[in-house]
Amino acid sequence: MTGPLQATTLPETLSGLLGLNTNDPLQWFLAALIASALVGTLMLTNTALVIWAKRKITAAFTDRIAINRVGPFGLLIIVADAVRLLSKELIVPDEVDRPAYDLAPLVLASSALLGFAVIPMGNGIQIADPETGLAYVFAVASLASLGLVMAGYASNNKYSFLGSLRAVAQNLAYEIPLVLTGVSVVIFAGTLRLSEIVAAQSETLFTLGGLAIPSWYAFVNPFAFVLFMAANLAEVGRNPFDIPEAPNEIVAGYMTEYSSVYFVLLYLGEFIHVFLGAAIVTTLFLGGPAGPVLPGIVWFLIKIWAVFLFTQWTRSAVPRVRIDQLIEIGWKGMLVLSIANLVLTAVIVGVLV
Amino acid sequence: MSSNDKTTDTLSTQDARMGQGADDRFNSPLREAFGSTPFILTKFDKFMNWVRGSSMFMLQFGIACCSIEMIHTYAIKHDLDRFGAGVPRSSPRQADVMIVPGTIVSKFAPRMKRVYDQMPEPKFVVGMGSCTISGGPFQEGYNVIKGAEEVIPVDIHVPGCPPRPEALIYGVAKLQERVANGESAPVTVKPYEMEQFGDLEQDEIVQKLADQIDEDDLVMRYNWTDSP
Amino acid sequence: MSLEEPRDAKPEIGVTDDGLDYDALAALLGDTLLDREDHVTTEGFVVRPDDVQDALRTLKQEAGFDHCSCVTAQEYQDRYESIYHLKKYDDPTHELSVVVPTSRDDPVSQSANDVYRTADWHEREAYDLVGIEYEDHPDMRRILLPETWQGHPLGRDYDQTQPQVVTLREHANPLQEDHMADDTDTMFINVGPHHPATHGVLHLKTVLDGEQVADVEPDIGYLHRCEEQLCQQCTYRHQIMPYPDRWDYTANLINEWSYARAAETLADIDVPEYAQVLRTMSAELSRMAGHFLALGTFALDVYGEFTAIFQYAFRDREIAQDILEDLTGQRMMHNYFRLGGVVWDLPNPREEFFEKTRDFLDDLPAKLDEYHDMITSNEIFQVRCVNTGVLEPDVAKEYGATGPVARGSGIDYDLRRDDPYGYYPELDWDVVTEDGCDNYARVLVRMQEVEESAKIVEQCLDLLEDWPEDERTLQSNVPRTIKPEPDTEIYSAIENAKGELGIYIRSDGTDKPARFKIRSPSFSNLQALPEMSNGEYVADLIATLGSLDIILGEVDR
Ligand code: SF4
Repeated sequence: MTGPLQATTLPETLSGLLGLNTNDPLQWFLAALIASALVGTLMLTNTALVIWAKRKITAAFTDRIAINRVGPFGLLIIVADAVRLLSKELIVPDEVDRPAYDLAPLVLASSALLGFAVIPMGNGIQIADPETGLAYVFAVASLASLGLVMAGYASNNKYSFLGSLRAVAQNLAYEIPLVLTGVSVVIFAGTLRLSEIVAAQSETLFTLGGLAIPSWYAFVNPFAFVLFMAANLAEVGRNPFDIPEAPNEIVAGYMTEYSSVYFVLLYLGEFIHVFLGAAIVTTLFLGGPAGPVLPGIVWFLIKIWAVFLFTQWTRSAVPRVRIDQLIEIGWKGMLVLSIANLVLTAVIVGVLV
Repeated sequence: MSSNDKTTDTLSTQDARMGQGADDRFNSPLREAFGSTPFILTKFDKFMNWVRGSSMFMLQFGIACCSIEMIHTYAIKHDLDRFGAGVPRSSPRQADVMIVPGTIVSKFAPRMKRVYDQMPEPKFVVGMGSCTISGGPFQEGYNVIKGAEEVIPVDIHVPGCPPRPEALIYGVAKLQERVANGESAPVTVKPYEMEQFGDLEQDEIVQKLADQIDEDDLVMRYNWTDSP
Repeated sequence: MSLEEPRDAKPEIGVTDDGLDYDALAALLGDTLLDREDHVTTEGFVVRPDDVQDALRTLKQEAGFDHCSCVTAQEYQDRYESIYHLKKYDDPTHELSVVVPTSRDDPVSQSANDVYRTADWHEREAYDLVGIEYEDHPDMRRILLPETWQGHPLGRDYDQTQPQVVTLREHANPLQEDHMADDTDTMFINVGPHHPATHGVLHLKTVLDGEQVADVEPDIGYLHRCEEQLCQQCTYRHQIMPYPDRWDYTANLINEWSYARAAETLADIDVPEYAQVLRTMSAELSRMAGHFLALGTFALDVYGEFTAIFQYAFRDREIAQDILEDLTGQRMMHNYFRLGGVVWDLPNPREEFFEKTRDFLDDLPAKLDEYHDMITSNEIFQVRCVNTGVLEPDVAKEYGATGPVARGSGIDYDLRRDDPYGYYPELDWDVVTEDGCDNYARVLVRMQEVEESAKIVEQCLDLLEDWPEDERTLQSNVPRTIKPEPDTEIYSAIENAKGELGIYIRSDGTDKPARFKIRSPSFSNLQALPEMSNGEYVADLIATLGSLDIILGEVDR
């Protein structure tokens, strides 16, 4: 049980740097707070970039240019968009279910942010490294469904309601294959601790013409990787599984009634979620922050952006499935496949080790 | 913008929108929070105007023939998104600009007003095509509203039937320019307001409809003789 | 106009080798027939208002008139009249009008709804705009105008300046009573009039049972722009022509042909060959533009907003529009046809135009392959579209569906071939049909029709290139004012991008039509929507609506 990253989490490093006493709960809390603020800011910056990147990526897929007037490459659109949305009138419709309506965006955005607490991002950036890291990540990530239900139910709008019902059905159907596929990785790595899962992937799988291919689980078990990517698309609600939002069917799904700040939060939450999904994929299958030359954090960012790119790609080119088909794929296809994958992995690992 | 020529005593949409100051439509909780310190306000307003002028979400709203050209404006060749205005939102709650692309008829006008009302302030309207100016080729129709301004205030009119995509882009760019300069468009809303049916004067038509319509229903009353 | 031989030789009453034998048909109706009128392309059989059903049923069952193309209502000085324009799907040149006069004091006539289901909406429209009431009609309400409208605007004594009141009920729920058994819950939901999926302003009153559609009722009229009234106010010669462009505003140019054909037949105007070729070519370019748009918006419904397919479809439509702009001077509202020809020749230099158009046609196969790669061969797309929105051929005929919708249900019906006009008979092309009856089939039909149109354009280009310079007559001699004989009536139709676009004109001796009625294909096609989507999922309802490719400008007129 020796992971190279395991010993030093970010708060520890920070308290070392700032000379705080890790045994004093108050000072420890302070260090953790600073660390969380740092990681949170990093992730929020990433998501803010999405406002720009999403439009540019979609444009690239569709032969357009997209924003290029505001600032260099249109980058200032991020500022403009964010401030403008925040400064809009906040409409709270009559007869919404007040506390739930207000809480939903918060739940959605924060649940995704919470997940990043245990993700090893390289260069010692990891706020906590509990032994049950993976279980924790899955747990907070699925909190989002709660947020969606709240948003949809509280909005007092039938489209929102439909959207949230779809979200629940979808998350239920895909959470299980997602976790089961994740477990197959755990069988390989023999641990739930994320830093150790990452460490387990650092060995060389084989060498190809002088190029050492690391034993990332995406290479070790590509089948699980594909399954996980698909389930992940459904989990974060992107095409072909973007039916909770389905702009052409049910207006904007659960976020139909939200405006201004709340809308920003929902929008952000959605994308932080995509990034959390990407981070989980990176950690479990793509060797986490590992990579040559560049520092770990950069590799980590590259990898999660690559996964994000993938989601945008499917969005531009893949049709959306219908709700019943989605459920069918989930329960009859993915679940079976993921169990098969799990059993197979267990057998292989059992035989080989 | 002066609103001293108003003649009606009921609170029209225009008055309601104009509030106490000419720039009320640019108001936001954020700005109100800053109070009325002129020094901060000017800088802050400048910034806010720049923000609003640089980026807009459009309402995904298609009515008639003009909407086809509007889609062309969003699509590959013309790419309205270059101006930071190419994200159509399907929910009015998240939109800033409503492009009204087409003929408005009596049955649709109240719905359009409804959608307009659902958009959060500050909101802007681009009237696209002759139909939104005067009713266009259909002006003489028994059912056609003689221009979008009868129902909602319009900031920019883009003439044409249909306007070319370039023209629409020019219109949007002009709107952005005006917003960035903090110029608010003259807001005029003419006779057809939404009213509660119960509040209408009792005349022949109201009498005739009295038992069909619920007192609380919103109605829009078209007085065709008065319209241009 | 040449009449085509009926394709199957099964003897039908009233069919002879050179068309219809109206005497035999009259004999078939026997006593129900009151009188016979001469219309320009057909005959009108006058029947009594309480014999409508009998007469129509006999004609449908025994004489094979299975297509009720249109119902025209009009008001004369002394009477109201409903005209049922009947046709056959097998041979649309076999036409017959059934004329039903009713008195001015009591304009009640029997409904044809029992015989032709498509009559439902047509009769509602007649009631709404003209004021004829139909007995036994299941749902006699206004259809285009708001419920609270006062008067019937196409009636003779309608006062256009009277005030009107239009209501808007917040959270209106007109279908409160449950459509399902007591122990299941249904939810009423308004799709539209402003909704991203309705492609315009259509209102679907939908009752959902969970995610499934229990009932859907289209509510139209949000774009009723009084086209018929406006056309009645305009002179034949020049003023009407701009309006057809605005009916089906995705494939504009073809609509002009419908008016041109009707008016030219009415006033007996010839069109020079050269102009016919130009017409054919421009109409087909326009059809391609319309089909690209249909494809793009269908992708919008199935894929989500702003996907690659949507954008590519618009890229290609843009090129078609460009070419048409070179030819006509406008991107959409071309106003290119004139009675007796077209307004101008190909732009100079002609070679450039040929080259540009050829380039477009040459690129087309590669582009269509790309579409097939991205759309029709995509598995998810197939799962979504195959066997959804099924429209059986019988049902389609009942509702008077035409165009790609009918051809997607295996009905081999295309007026360009079956009731030939323009230069089509001279060219080599095929009518595309698919037997799938579902959304997928309709997409396939549209994509293949683009190929066929390309073929036609190609041949027209060849013809135009070789056309001797001194024979390029654009317009025949047409009198400055056109005043057809009083009381001539004509109903004629062409195939536009959505189906059969018919025009009924009655002249009254002046230079303006006394009655101008538009039979739009989308109107009939949309009527079949409930039939296609009841019991399906919401997502399929949206997709089905998209695959019908309705244009609200044409539905509401
Ligand atoms: S302005 Fe012209 S193109 Fe636009 S909606 Fe009106 S008629 Fe159609």
